[in-house]
Amino acid sequence: MDDYLIGVLSNIGVISFVALSAYLLLLTGEISFGQQGFFAIGAYAAGIATALWGWSLTAALVWGAAVSGGAALLVGVPTLRLHGLYFAIATLAFAEMVRILFELFRYQISIDGELIGPNGTDGFRNIRYIFDHNIDAFEFLLLIYSLLAAVMLVFMLLERSRLGVIFRMIGQDETLAELQGIPVARYKVLAAGIAGMLAGIGGGLYAHLTTYVEPRIFDIMLGVHSLAYGLIGGLGTALGPLLGVLIDIGLLESIRALAGYRMIIFGGLVAMLLIVRPRGLLDEVLVHKIGRGWWRVCLWVRRSGLKPGANNARATGGSP
Amino acid sequence: MTTLAMLALCGLENAHAQVRAKAEVSCRPAEKLHYDCVIKLANSRTSEPLSGLTLTVSADMPSMPAAHSVRPVKATEEQDKGTYRARIALEMYGDWAVRLELSGAVRDRVVKLLRFESDRVGEATPTQAPGRHRH
Repeated sequence: MDDYLIGVLSNIGVISFVALSAYLLLLTGEISFGQQGFFAIGAYAAGIATALWGWSLTAALVWGAAVSGGAALLVGVPTLRLHGLYFAIATLAFAEMVRILFELFRYQISIDGELIGPNGTDGFRNIRYIFDHNIDAFEFLLLIYSLLAAVMLVFMLLERSRLGVIFRMIGQDETLAELQGIPVARYKVLAAGIAGMLAGIGGGLYAHLTTYVEPRIFDIMLGVHSLAYGLIGGLGTALGPLLGVLIDIGLLESIRALAGYRMIIFGGLVAMLLIVRPRGLLDEVLVHKIGRGWWRVCLWVRRSGLKPGANNARATGGSP
Repeated sequence: MTTLAMLALCGLENAHAQVRAKAEVSCRPAEKLHYDCVIKLANSRTSEPLSGLTLTVSADMPSMPAAHSVRPVKATEEQDKGTYRARIALEMYGDWAVRLELSGAVRDRVVKLLRFESDRVGEATPTQAPGRHRH
């Protein structure tokens, strides 16, 4: 496979994690502009673990997810009382705070005579795990998509579980959910924690994919995009944000000839799409229709399977 | 299962003693948004020039991750040992993280932050951290 294609597919895979993270919060009815903050925490934590502490990639990714998930829980508790615009502003403020903290964060160790580690605004270079362990770009791509497939499987199970129904119920009407006896606050903190962990895994993978991170990467741009992916792709299924990432990065790549104007065109398309389909391409209605259509196909297959040879008997004029 | 297998692979594999590269990159404008870059590669420990490698040059905008990836170009090796030349085409002026991908006898990646302007190319100046403003 072409190196460039591998690079684009890897980017799509990694960004999908932060898109799924924002999507999970959208399910519970909260708009977060701050998932890039958890992505950053995951990236730095996992990068430090492999580059400075010599941990394995597995341990580093778990560590990155745990730290970002923990941070999300800490942010989730005080922002529980906030809704809508206030919650969005609070998450954005948190992400900016994280970015500025990383601009001040310096933690370097001399390895083989070379200073390695986060160095404030100069960023964190030499996260060389994949080179030191001879993992090529294609193998790393497989790792990204294996983890993404595992996360998607969990999402599919979640959406069919009681927990998934509760998340959607809270997203539809929080007061009604509370009246049904659901501890809304607890579930919202849980959703925030899981979303933070997802973003952290994405961040850890991103740091090892690019081998270089700096605070500028994790600014509002990434937050807005990760939120937009769910809104473009649709809120009916976890495949929605993935479709959003695919459209965004695929579209950006396909209209490359328009160079610096691509973002303006992309913004216009997003605005138009949100007017035509406010809950995205794969919204709940379409997902329900697809589900019903699929159910009918299954039913038809089962019925025709119960009467084998029925058509043959009719064709030959015999009794069925 | 695949995930577990991949993670186990990454976790159990021993670190491979690799030659680390360092690079000096100097670029100058050729035509609008096109830049000619001369790259000098050397072993980071011994400072010996690294020649005979396949060098691919690409660039990303740090402020827009995954959004403005420049299609990689292969650099050609000059007669001077460890010196390579490549022309990159950017989409806009500003700070770019130039990625040098080395393959062949040495496999490594070096990232250089540069500011590309219409008439010159210099070191990128990262955002000023709070409390560290120059007056």
